[in-house]
Amino acid sequence: MFADGLFIGFAVLAVLGAVGLVLFRHPMNGAMSFVVTLISLAGLYALLSAKLIFALQLIVYAGAIMSLIVFIIMFLNIQPSDLPQEETKLLYILGGSVVVFPIGLFLAKIVKSLPAHSTEIIGHNFGGVKEVGLLLFRDWLVPFEIVSILLLVSLVGAVILAGKRGTTK
Amino acid sequence: MIHSYLYLSIILFCLGIVGVISRRNVFTVFMSIELMLNAANLAFVAFSRVHESMDGHVLAMMVMAVAAAEAALALAVVILLHKHKSKLDTNVFSLLKG
Repeated sequence: MFADGLFIGFAVLAVLGAVGLVLFRHPMNGAMSFVVTLISLAGLYALLSAKLIFALQLIVYAGAIMSLIVFIIMFLNIQPSDLPQEETKLLYILGGSVVVFPIGLFLAKIVKSLPAHSTEIIGHNFGGVKEVGLLLFRDWLVPFEIVSILLLVSLVGAVILAGKRGTTK
Repeated sequence: MIHSYLYLSIILFCLGIVGVISRRNVFTVFMSIELMLNAANLAFVAFSRVHESMDGHVLAMMVMAVAAAEAALALAVVILLHKHKSKLDTNVFSLLKG
């Protein structure tokens, strides 16, 4: 089926991008391969008929957050000599995989016990802007307001942390 | 099948954990945390598709907002530390060690 082929393609791209993020030495290469992961995740959201989340993933994550990270990486002008020497990286990755593997196996066992369900695209405007917006402003109004306060606090904190200071002492 | 989406979410989450515990570059550690948030988002949207209710989409939006706030703060801290130490190594940032 066409959707299955799309899923396999996006899944392989997402995993390859994540592996590249873990393995690349320079953070710029890692950021670029992470963008591949984010864009293929957006495709997976579209396959799950989440239209608004698909658009937000592309605009907010792959657009805004990643361009902020790439901007900061370029702003710091990192030379290869500035990067930390990670001679034992492969050893740590191997050890980390050994630690994480049982956790993943446990989670996979939980997922296996769930009942099967098809993921065909459904209609009735499921996941559209209007439906999600109605739900957001009816049932999730208080969390929405709390998130707005969180964004304001992080804005003020970022300006205070990274801004110029010490002119008045 | 919904199972393949959840397996993919588990794989991405485990890769994020491996990135956090094995790398020493600040940016790579930070992007691995973002990868774990994305894996959680994928699980939210997949379960939302199973139950055909859109609460998972709203939660995914909240996670995105939290990730944006975290990105702004974390990058401010990275700039501050780079100004003081001119290093990007997480082993160098041990200011709170007694």
